[in-house]
Amino acid sequence: MRPQTNRLPATTGKGLSGAHIDRSRPIRFTINGRVTPGFQGDTVLSALLAAGVDTIGIHAGQPLGLRASAAPAIAYAAKANAPAHALPMERTPARDGAEYRIIAEGPGPGLFARLFQPGRTLGLSLDTPNSLVRPWRSIRGREAEPTDLIIVGGGVAGMAAALAGAHAGLKVTLIEASPHLGGHSGLFGTQDGESTPEENVAALAAEVAANHTIRVLTHAEVFAIGEGIVRVHQLDISGERVEGQVVDLPARYIILATGAFERLPVLPGNRLPGIVGAQDAFELAYRYGIWPGQSWLLATSGNPAYRLATLLAESGTTLDRILDGRDHASSRYIEFCKAYGFRQFPGTVPLAVTPGPAGRLSVELPHGEPTSVDRLVLCGGWQPDLTLWHLAGGQSRWNVRRERLEPIGEVPGLVLAGSAAGHFTRRGCVTSGIHAVDRLLGRPGLGVDDPVIDAFYETPDRQMHVGDSENAPAPTYLDADNTLMLRPAPPPRRRWTSIFRGPRSGPVRVLSEAPQPLSIGAICAGVGIGLIPPESAGVVAQERVALVPLTRAEPPRPPASENMATVPTYLADRFGHDAAVKTLRHDPSRQLGSGALIFEGEDVTDPRRAVGVVLRTRDGKTEALVVASVRNVVVRDLGQAIPAEVET
Amino acid sequence: MTDTQVDFAVFGSSPLAGLVAGLLASRHKRRVVMVGDAQARYRLPRTLDISVAPVTRPETWALLTAALPDISKLITRIGGRQALRRVDPIFFADGLAAREALGHFSHMARAHGMILETVPPAKIGADRAALRINDAVTIHRPGFGPALETWLGELGVRRFGPEAATMAPGGATAIKADDEVLVARRAILVDDSSILHALPGWQWPAQLLRRPHATVLTASSRHLAGPIMVQLDSGTILVQHEEGGMAAMGPGNLGSFSGQLATLLAEAGQLQQVGQVGYEILSPSDGAPLLGPVTADGPLILTGLGPIGAFMAPILARWLAGEASSDETEWCEARRADKRGLGSSVAEFNFRIEEQAA
Repeated sequence: MRPQTNRLPATTGKGLSGAHIDRSRPIRFTINGRVTPGFQGDTVLSALLAAGVDTIGIHAGQPLGLRASAAPAIAYAAKANAPAHALPMERTPARDGAEYRIIAEGPGPGLFARLFQPGRTLGLSLDTPNSLVRPWRSIRGREAEPTDLIIVGGGVAGMAAALAGAHAGLKVTLIEASPHLGGHSGLFGTQDGESTPEENVAALAAEVAANHTIRVLTHAEVFAIGEGIVRVHQLDISGERVEGQVVDLPARYIILATGAFERLPVLPGNRLPGIVGAQDAFELAYRYGIWPGQSWLLATSGNPAYRLATLLAESGTTLDRILDGRDHASSRYIEFCKAYGFRQFPGTVPLAVTPGPAGRLSVELPHGEPTSVDRLVLCGGWQPDLTLWHLAGGQSRWNVRRERLEPIGEVPGLVLAGSAAGHFTRRGCVTSGIHAVDRLLGRPGLGVDDPVIDAFYETPDRQMHVGDSENAPAPTYLDADNTLMLRPAPPPRRRWTSIFRGPRSGPVRVLSEAPQPLSIGAICAGVGIGLIPPESAGVVAQERVALVPLTRAEPPRPPASENMATVPTYLADRFGHDAAVKTLRHDPSRQLGSGALIFEGEDVTDPRRAVGVVLRTRDGKTEALVVASVRNVVVRDLGQAIPAEVET
Repeated sequence: MTDTQVDFAVFGSSPLAGLVAGLLASRHKRRVVMVGDAQARYRLPRTLDISVAPVTRPETWALLTAALPDISKLITRIGGRQALRRVDPIFFADGLAAREALGHFSHMARAHGMILETVPPAKIGADRAALRINDAVTIHRPGFGPALETWLGELGVRRFGPEAATMAPGGATAIKADDEVLVARRAILVDDSSILHALPGWQWPAQLLRRPHATVLTASSRHLAGPIMVQLDSGTILVQHEEGGMAAMGPGNLGSFSGQLATLLAEAGQLQQVGQVGYEILSPSDGAPLLGPVTADGPLILTGLGPIGAFMAPILARWLAGEASSDETEWCEARRADKRGLGSSVAEFNFRIEEQAA
């Protein structure tokens, strides 16, 4: 059994000791036979990460990091073959004594690998398309009782919307994918005059819990949406075993408060084990007290990531340096980091990351020798999560100044709120949640108060990417999700030796034909590296979202008509106005096919000189459309010339 | 601000639109500009460009067969060998009317030198008639699109967004550029989206119908029986992508087409949609192309050509330039939008017509 090497000490300050775990209640479970320890409150994923398992397996020849946005599904060992019993490891609470199996397309770890537990990897081979399958997405939902208002996302905007809806007399269902309400506001800190995120979240959560007209579903992920309906994969954690079910929830109104996600900087090796986003890193530390390794490097193009450095300043970890892809970024967090004495390199982007010795990461820099660290925090700024908005038919447009997709237009019965709607501050998110309810009910309301600090003081996020290279030392991913979309290969250089090579394999070359959905993150990356023109980003995002149809498959159509037209429309006037349907008399052993052309002589074959055409055989008789004057004809059918006589 | 006169403003972003514009500029020495949505190249495909289609009129087959070597050479010259791909598409039919149409189409194809083979039920499904046509060619749009833009640029054909163009009822089009106004004497509306956007209702030909249509991109791991499959009953086109996955285009709004696709491909297992879009297409009521002026002095349209449209581009360009042969002129004139219904029928197989007849 691997010890929990990646837990921060229980005494770690700044709230990073693991708010959701109970260190006094250790547990252990097995996954593919590997014994894994954890604490009460862990998810299966967090327990694995705490025990140092940070690799899913091999993809495109390199190890691929395990993270919440890309983790294989699991099931209890006894039920591993049925998709209905598949569970997401990032949402499934770890249970003491449970035996889990990993569900993934493609070859799994062999007996040898399972017997001799392969260190930090789950041992999957991920080159099979759609290898990180989510089996519940193919299950039809059981229709549940309708409600007035569904809110997707239990962050501060979602909770504020739920309370506003309840106060307006609506029956509300609040759906949150993670085990707890609260969302992702923790990393973003506090502006002047605000309470801390933790205080704000706790107060809202308590008020939601006390309101009996609000039904809260945690561990519940909405993955499909239609007009007045959402499809949810919900975990029932009340019993000894966690069970999943797919439910269709109808509602008069829907609010999407799905938040913003962190973009993956586009550089070679960006999904190696040991690489993590700033938001994920913060939440693993805050919720589960997880921080792998002793040394780390922060490469960012967004301000909130700097806060991570200050929070960890007294945790005993060593921050090697901070790279910022922006030349002259300013932020209060940057100033705090200067005060702590962290080395900062503005206008610097890591060129590539490769696996280093002893499980460390080697980060290639524009100047000087590569640096070696245990952990690399990569932050490419934030993007409103518009996935469900696009699924619902909503449109979006690229904001060139902010370098992000933003929603435009309206969808009947559906409103965005919080950072999904493009708001930046916690106050903006809370007031937008309230305003979303006002909009749905047709009330003027007070509007949204989003006190964004001037760009002079808080430089906006930028995307982070490096140029294309045929000789990249590691694969480059466009997003951190489970589609494993690689950066399209650069066009091959035309060399004379190319004629001896067979077809090239590897990453897709044309993004528009990629057999994967294009996540919003991949589209943002596509814009950043010039694959998608900014003006097309919204259209591509809307068209390339992975839609799960909520309509039923149509029953097969009955066979085509028995009473079809005697002469199909497409033959009208083909043989002149006086052509008529006649019966052909010919060798009865031979059935003539529809469309066989009729000529007046054997030596004529030009279809434009045909005098008729066989329509069909009906009741043993051959019907043909022929010009009125002909009698003895030749029918050409499958290369043969068959004499026939037109009956009068 | 200066005024510049050009001969034609070609509205569209498809290979047909680009080829007609380029041919008018290069071979026929006309001054041409294009008006088109630059996003088109990044959108899911709405149509397919392939050298065979369920055409039932011999005069159409004769022109297409004659035009094919020339246009194939041109496409390869513009976009390299990757722009034009050799494929063996499968045309299949389930219902009786579609089976009859398949018969008419197959005899016409054989008579024009195509090699066809029957696809066994084990590959295509029982109670289904299917034919594979050897050695058709299809334009690989992702590869050809950028090359087409480059070619047009070299010919001096400039592209403008639809928002820059204002079309007068007579078809003359003013295009506002940065510091000049270009005036095209005649607009040629090619893509369905362009016609829908630019053609005023009072000039709309009665025979031109608007139909809901949809494209769905799937990540099915199962391979189709052929690289391109066309169902005659519904007009659904299935295209297997080299990278894996499949694009399907067919009639109906997105929800209903998605359901029909699930039924059509039930044997392929669960389909995972990785892209989808619903839109409107234009369909002449008799299935035959609608060409030329919509009214005596209105804009010109080129529509209803189906998947073979791009391969007819040289003929259409010659006709528009007044340099077509007598056969070509006769064929185009018989399909004129402003004279449809006045002469003999030129109707082609059109699955929707058969559907209505049923």
